[in-house]
Amino acid sequence: MRRERDRYVRHPVRRALARGLWRLLGLVALAAVAVALAPVTLAAVAAAAAGWWRGWPPRRLYAVAAWCLPMTASWLAAVAAWPARAAGSAAAGGAGRAGAPPGLALPPGIGPGPWWLRCAAAPYRAWLASWQLAAHGHLAAAAVAAAPPAVPLGVLAGGLAWQYRLFRMRTGAGGLTPAAPATFDSRLWRRQVRTAKALLAAPGALPLISRNGLVVTGAAIRSIRHRPGRVAAIPYPRLRSHQVVIGSTGTGKTTLLLRLWAGFMAAGLRRYAAGGANRPLLVVLDCKGGASSRKVADRTRRVLRDAGARSTAIWPDEASLSLWTLPPGQLVTTLLDLIEHGTGGAAYYTDVMEAIVSLAVGAPCGPPACSADFLARLDPGWLAASYAASGDGTAVATIRSGKRGFEDVELRFRALWRRLGAGLDGGGSFGDADAWYCVLEGTAEGAVAEAQARALTDLLAHYAVSGQREILLAVDEFSAVSRRLPIWRLYERARALGLAVQVSAQSWEGLADTDDERQRIAATAEGGIWLLRTPRPGPVSELAGTRAYVDTTRRFSGQGAWAGDGLSRTRLVPVLDADIVRQLDVGQAAYVYRGGVTYVQVKRLTGRQAALAPAPADAPTTPLPAVAVPAQWPPAPPAPPPPDASEVLDEAFGARHE
Amino acid sequence: MTLAVRDADALVFAADMYGIQFDQLAALTGGDRSARAAAKRWRDLGYVETAKLNEGPAWLWVTRAGLAACGREYQARRPALPQLAHIRAVAATRIALEATGAYRRASAFWRCERRIRARHGRGIRQHLPDGEVHWPDSAPVAWAGECWAIEAEVTPKTVARTTAIMREILARTGDYGCPAAEAEVLGQPPRHARALYLCSPAALTTVLKAREALGLLSARIEVRDLPPGAQL
Repeated sequence: MRRERDRYVRHPVRRALARGLWRLLGLVALAAVAVALAPVTLAAVAAAAAGWWRGWPPRRLYAVAAWCLPMTASWLAAVAAWPARAAGSAAAGGAGRAGAPPGLALPPGIGPGPWWLRCAAAPYRAWLASWQLAAHGHLAAAAVAAAPPAVPLGVLAGGLAWQYRLFRMRTGAGGLTPAAPATFDSRLWRRQVRTAKALLAAPGALPLISRNGLVVTGAAIRSIRHRPGRVAAIPYPRLRSHQVVIGSTGTGKTTLLLRLWAGFMAAGLRRYAAGGANRPLLVVLDCKGGASSRKVADRTRRVLRDAGARSTAIWPDEASLSLWTLPPGQLVTTLLDLIEHGTGGAAYYTDVMEAIVSLAVGAPCGPPACSADFLARLDPGWLAASYAASGDGTAVATIRSGKRGFEDVELRFRALWRRLGAGLDGGGSFGDADAWYCVLEGTAEGAVAEAQARALTDLLAHYAVSGQREILLAVDEFSAVSRRLPIWRLYERARALGLAVQVSAQSWEGLADTDDERQRIAATAEGGIWLLRTPRPGPVSELAGTRAYVDTTRRFSGQGAWAGDGLSRTRLVPVLDADIVRQLDVGQAAYVYRGGVTYVQVKRLTGRQAALAPAPADAPTTPLPAVAVPAQWPPAPPAPPPPDASEVLDEAFGARHE
Repeated sequence: MTLAVRDADALVFAADMYGIQFDQLAALTGGDRSARAAAKRWRDLGYVETAKLNEGPAWLWVTRAGLAACGREYQARRPALPQLAHIRAVAATRIALEATGAYRRASAFWRCERRIRARHGRGIRQHLPDGEVHWPDSAPVAWAGECWAIEAEVTPKTVARTTAIMREILARTGDYGCPAAEAEVLGQPPRHARALYLCSPAALTTVLKAREALGLLSARIEVRDLPPGAQL
């Protein structure tokens, strides 16, 4: 051995020649096999080229090969069922078709023998017949003759070749230059994006709800540790879990959110119609405010309407809620939370205020019905008379002792209600609409928006206790109003009440005030994290976890050629590639769920899009049952019947049908 | 060559209603002879085309030149054969309603489906009524200021579908062609004070069942027979 190695060391030219010759021989042998199996080779080349051009995962090619198998099975069944006598006599040279090549008296693949022999020999006979047909110039007939066995085999071989190519490039063992794997990956990404966009452009290819009830968000670009497929879809229960959406301005965050909301509504209504769940309710807290929020609200209403929502209330512009429907104990807590309190010595005034508000809410005549009623009760004389009439001496004593604080408390609440407006002083409830879009002026009036957010979440929590609806609470830029209601507390309350919370922010930092809260929010996002282009995807990348990655080093021998030796090792790399996230285009998102990630080209939802795929056969065909949607806002008694127009109708059309 | 006022009204009527049959044109122009004379004048002007599209009187429809003369921006087209029965029924409904004294005294206005559709965005999936009748606020009738939706039912739909259409009509708050967000807004008064269903005997039962399913809203649904001669 030593002498042998020394000889090669001494004769590098001979060594290179030997290696080249060996490689050449291998290539010649491979080419010979490829030519001999030309039909399979052609199908394999076409399949591998399609996989490369479209950026498909190999799994898709295997699926294509599998879908070809019925053709092969039918062909084999036909071969087995062909009349044995005709096959035998034709093979013996008896009958022959006029003009057919010798030996082709029978269809390709047919021959004598028992059925099992015919099936076993059918591929060989078909291959032989195709060559004979090709030799006589019948190329189309040759292709048809070889197709049943050659197409599935070829597609399978193409899939294997494409998988091998991907494996080589992924592990760094392929390519001509050290930069080849990186270049290959970036080009593959571009082709995958192009394929996803083509799917988006295909009419009807991406319905809002798929046939099997999944919520379709767009076309899948690339999947890592998720099941690869053309369509990116998530099951409805994930929308009923906490989710996080992070994306900078102008990256398509609103488009994604609208898609998710519409999917929640459509899938929820379908389940409701099937009797499998309560009617869905979507509540959106848009904490930015301003004109842009109104535009999004209008777009949301249009999209939800197409998804099946009968009504979308926009708070506080068009609809209002009643804070006074809260039970008295909860009402006291909420009213106190609406007012900012100091600490230290100011705690005394907090206690005074709590006592006065409790007395006003718990007056013997019942809780207040509106803000005016509540403010009117902050009168020590009235309160004392009311409690005295009911014989509650302790309350009267408390009122007298705290008499000096009434004016201050009334002043503060009067100012609060003036700033809050009428949005919480109406007669509505969350149950009156299928969706509520609440606009909080978090940018312009932070303190007011904080109070509104607090009141709205309390109202929603109270409504959720009734268990009448499946609720998704979507909060956008909640950090703008979370000073007095930490979002993690909202998370915990929501979990206890069965609400799903979807938090969206423009950046990781926008999720919450402290890193601890951010981590807590992201870590409890059981429904997954949606990441659009953002400058700092690192924390989410860490949360997504790692995967095993084979890293191969090769020795570069100079002059553009690799040496034959190298080293491979397994190491852990992040599942979520932060560089890809930083470079995502508008409308692209990374969906992180259970240690895997799917890059999605989000399908924009327009008012004209067909919202639902054809329902499966077992789905109910009756329309959704009607819901009690108030014809007027706030709920009013039934409108009187219109005036009698019999005068003109009787004259024109005769008597009325009762 | 000029058009008489009555002729011009009839021409606009024909333009609005997709087309009319000669017996209906006669009702508009005052008799068979005048109808034939009007049709001949319009044909000579290139405003209309006529043809016998089914059994019964010939049909007349307005050409592109005629639509331009009427100031209508519709797309000129010959009435489609499957829609002839419905077109005739709606035209007969309009003729019958416009012939009433209250309609004339009130100077009410019939807004036809073709006009609504012309303002309505293409591809938007909404049900459009066969017509709207607008009663001016100053009209000397109890229902002044109301807008009625008119539906001519010749062939029966399913009860569920009819109920859904009735709900949509009665719940609508915005005009057709308005932004989708304004189509049905809580707190706004409904666009249609009532819906008037003119039914063939075949469709009557379905419409009555659908009205029953509406509950309190059924008070705003008027169901009557189609006027005599409305069916092919």
